[in-house]
Amino acid sequence: MTLTRIVQSAAIALALGASVGIAQADTLRVGMSGKYYPFTFVEQDQLKGFEVDVLNAIGEQTGDDIEFVTASFSGLAGMLDSGRIDTIANQITITPERKAKYAFTDPYVYDGAQVVVRKGNDAIQGVEDLKGKTVAVNLGSNYEQLLRELPYADQIDIKTYESNIEQDVALGRADAFVMDRVSATQVIKDKPLPLQLAGKPFSRIENALPFRDDEAGRADRDRIDAALDTLRDNGTLTRISEKWFGTDITRP
Amino acid sequence: MHALDLDYMLGLVPILLGYLPLTLEMAVAGMIFALVLACLLAVVRVRRLRGLNALAMLFISFFRGTPLLVQLFLFYYGLPQLLTFLVAINGVTATIMGLTLHFSAYMAESIRAAIVGVDRSQTEAALSIGMTQGQLMRRIVLPQATRIATPTLMNYFIDMIKATSLAFTLGVTELMGATQKEAASSFLYFEAFLVVAIIYWVVVEALSWLQRRLETRLNRAYQR
Repeated sequence: MTLTRIVQSAAIALALGASVGIAQADTLRVGMSGKYYPFTFVEQDQLKGFEVDVLNAIGEQTGDDIEFVTASFSGLAGMLDSGRIDTIANQITITPERKAKYAFTDPYVYDGAQVVVRKGNDAIQGVEDLKGKTVAVNLGSNYEQLLRELPYADQIDIKTYESNIEQDVALGRADAFVMDRVSATQVIKDKPLPLQLAGKPFSRIENALPFRDDEAGRADRDRIDAALDTLRDNGTLTRISEKWFGTDITRP
Repeated sequence: MHALDLDYMLGLVPILLGYLPLTLEMAVAGMIFALVLACLLAVVRVRRLRGLNALAMLFISFFRGTPLLVQLFLFYYGLPQLLTFLVAINGVTATIMGLTLHFSAYMAESIRAAIVGVDRSQTEAALSIGMTQGQLMRRIVLPQATRIATPTLMNYFIDMIKATSLAFTLGVTELMGATQKEAASSFLYFEAFLVVAIIYWVVVEALSWLQRRLETRLNRAYQR
């Protein structure tokens, strides 16, 4: 069993040696963390979430087989760069740095960055109050970037996590965490953690699918963009958004 | 504080057990490869084979002197940047490679100690009746060394089973990875990690029982 698997891997290693990085037209390998409720998460052994539904809808449009690959969030960009996956569906925010490196589709989620604190902690009412506090963010996320760009960033103790930032704030190990407004709202509504939103969202974010910025990647991007346009026009995106968030986050 | 969600825990057991085969596969494959490599290393070390001995010592020094997690990251994330075709190494293969190299370094030393630990008089007696070096190893030294090495090797195997849990950092959904994901959506961390701890524990206990039986068997010749 394992031996055959190893032999197979070795064979694939040789066969793929030359062809890695060339996107296949029929299979789209989509990387996601599987740990970001309700965008991508595993429940009862089932991979679910907004991103999963959107990508499956895209697959129905283009005829691609969608193959989901789960890995830790901070490792996803490396997997995209090295050709292990073709794109990332994990609420990837378009930032200038990422835009310079990847070929992005048009945005399909419009959201904001949100500070969240432990329930009852009314001392923090927004991003201005994070001075001198310990703030949890996901490693490699744009929220880490947003905090580091604040003029008083050196006064914030920024802690980076692979996952479980919500839990550490609920336990009081960190004073606040920063992530997107819609997931934060949904987690507070659905899950048994004592958390509350601190003030209004402080930065607008737009999410899209990144592809490698080479010929094959840009071709994939154009194909997927066309499918997203159709899904936006025929109301599918809105329907998927309503299902997970009770509101339409796919329009600005 | 919330009350323990027993229903959730019971529901999680069959789901997580579905990932136990992969965990065991990685450990068994790692153990087989590590044993072969460790025996080679041990023989090189015992015989002090010229040239190879220094190489074996360097190998053991590196793989015993660096954390397994660092080695796994080196193989999975690092090497493909240097040699692009290595991208095809998946997380499972990288884990088996890491376990093999890491544990063979430890096991080589305990196999070497076991070989050296066979009383010198045994070797002298065998040589005095005209056995060749090969016969001496096969018939006299290795059977006795096996008995000495078995408890420590079983210990390494148990350790290896638990070490497979690091594969989740390479994106492999094995026992630990599956638990992490379930916990990240239910936010019932205590329940999820308690269930997975119990599963590992039961597996290791079953192996310890096997180890005791194996040792009794190997000790039969020494009992009166």
